[in-house]
Amino acid sequence: MTWTMRVDWPSCAARGLCAELLPERIHLDEWGFPVVEGTVTPDLLGLAKAAATACPHRALRLVSAG
Amino acid sequence: MSGAVLASVTSFPGAGAGAPVAPSAPAATVRRSLSARSVPRTVRTDPPAQVVATPGPVLLSGVLDGPSLEAHRDRFGQLPQLDLDTVLATVGAGAVVGRGGAGFPFARKLAAAATGRRRAVVVINLAEGEPASAKDTALALVAPHQILDGAEVVARALRTTEVHIVTPLERPAVGDAIAAALSERAAQPGRRDRSQPRWRMRAAEPGFVSGQARAVLELLAGRPGLPVTAWKPEAMSGLDGRPTLLSNAETWAQVAAVLRMGALGYAAHGTDTEPGTTLLTLPHRRDADTAVVLEAAYGTPWVDVLGPDVEQPVLLGGFHGTWADAGVLAEATVSREELRARGLGLGAGVVLPMRADQCPVAVTSEIVDYLAKASARRCGPCLNGLPALAEEMRLVALGETSASWTRIGELVGLVDKRGACAHPDGTARLVRSLLTTFDDEVALHLRGGCSR
Repeated sequence: MTWTMRVDWPSCAARGLCAELLPERIHLDEWGFPVVEGTVTPDLLGLAKAAATACPHRALRLVSAG
Repeated sequence: MSGAVLASVTSFPGAGAGAPVAPSAPAATVRRSLSARSVPRTVRTDPPAQVVATPGPVLLSGVLDGPSLEAHRDRFGQLPQLDLDTVLATVGAGAVVGRGGAGFPFARKLAAAATGRRRAVVVINLAEGEPASAKDTALALVAPHQILDGAEVVARALRTTEVHIVTPLERPAVGDAIAAALSERAAQPGRRDRSQPRWRMRAAEPGFVSGQARAVLELLAGRPGLPVTAWKPEAMSGLDGRPTLLSNAETWAQVAAVLRMGALGYAAHGTDTEPGTTLLTLPHRRDADTAVVLEAAYGTPWVDVLGPDVEQPVLLGGFHGTWADAGVLAEATVSREELRARGLGLGAGVVLPMRADQCPVAVTSEIVDYLAKASARRCGPCLNGLPALAEEMRLVALGETSASWTRIGELVGLVDKRGACAHPDGTARLVRSLLTTFDDEVALHLRGGCSR
């Protein structure tokens, strides 16, 4: 099973914690909103869960990629 | 245009329709520029005041009979009673795809909605938010029972009695026409049995994105009718988490047609791989307030649809659409497959041929400006990216050399697929298509020129 991060865009308020917690997959665009790249590999699963949990607006989810 | 039905959209004879409501899009914030010049407006961004429906082979075959239930039953017969398997097999064989723009196979949606644990909900989406589109409006005005028949047969097959109908508030004639059609159906003798759908009407606020599927479901759930993130397809989890079969009005009418005619009868129109017909909306040649809706069998040469305009650049699929260069359609036919092979798309069937004096770069700029203002303003990339893209496109259209190809590409990448709905994706598609189809013209603009 492969995983990816999905953003709930209307909830996202560009707080940017996700990019700090998962820089391997998330960086911020010029307005501070997350740009998610690639799938979450098993080695990143723990960090990805932490990033989703840390989002103050619960706007980031770890979802099945396929 | 003889032998056509002309109907008023913003008011309807005998109905107390109010004044048309202006779209309530707040002004977008744009980056400051030394030049405050704007691109002259040439594209209509209000819904048409009137629509002309010309007779067509299937859905529009009865337009001259009038919209009454009696005329409809005289021409098309009684509603068929079909079980779910028959419905699934027939719409599958008829290859009916969604006509709201995405073109998703209806049979797959129906199958998903039918296998849910909870009873399905059926939704007819008539909230035609795109100003240039009027086909669903036309159907409601001239052939409302085709739409209702499709939803009713499928609702019965799904053993659901709940059918929601969402109409556009800024086109009050649509709601009036559907309400009139429903009261005709209610008055039919012997039509009070319990398998009758309970039709529920709801009006969607004006706005380009208010007809988006999730926005419609939000409205029905009693929340603001704006797009939200869909974690699952609505056929699996839609209204109140129930399996929801939401399709646009033309799709329901096509479903009614294929179920009534059978897959073979339906396939008498169209081509081997694309049976049936599609509705198209074109601007009226002389009257900017009027939209023309016609029905074309798949495989119809574009020259039959467009006449001499086939030699002009054509924006296909409306404001979220793609550009066909001058002459590309001259030898082509109305076919979703053929268009896809050329990197083009029919979307919801809006066809906008350019006049000889219109510059596609300027038109795109105008449309992107409109789309930026039409954002629901809830998703960061759309809220920030679309006004920035509109500003860049304005500079290009005006031939200001400060605009940059790289920056446009960057902004397109930053908005695409980064929202709850496909509004930013559609805007990105339009701009990308301009850059691909009219690369020379864009390059000329970036040097300060324009060929028109």
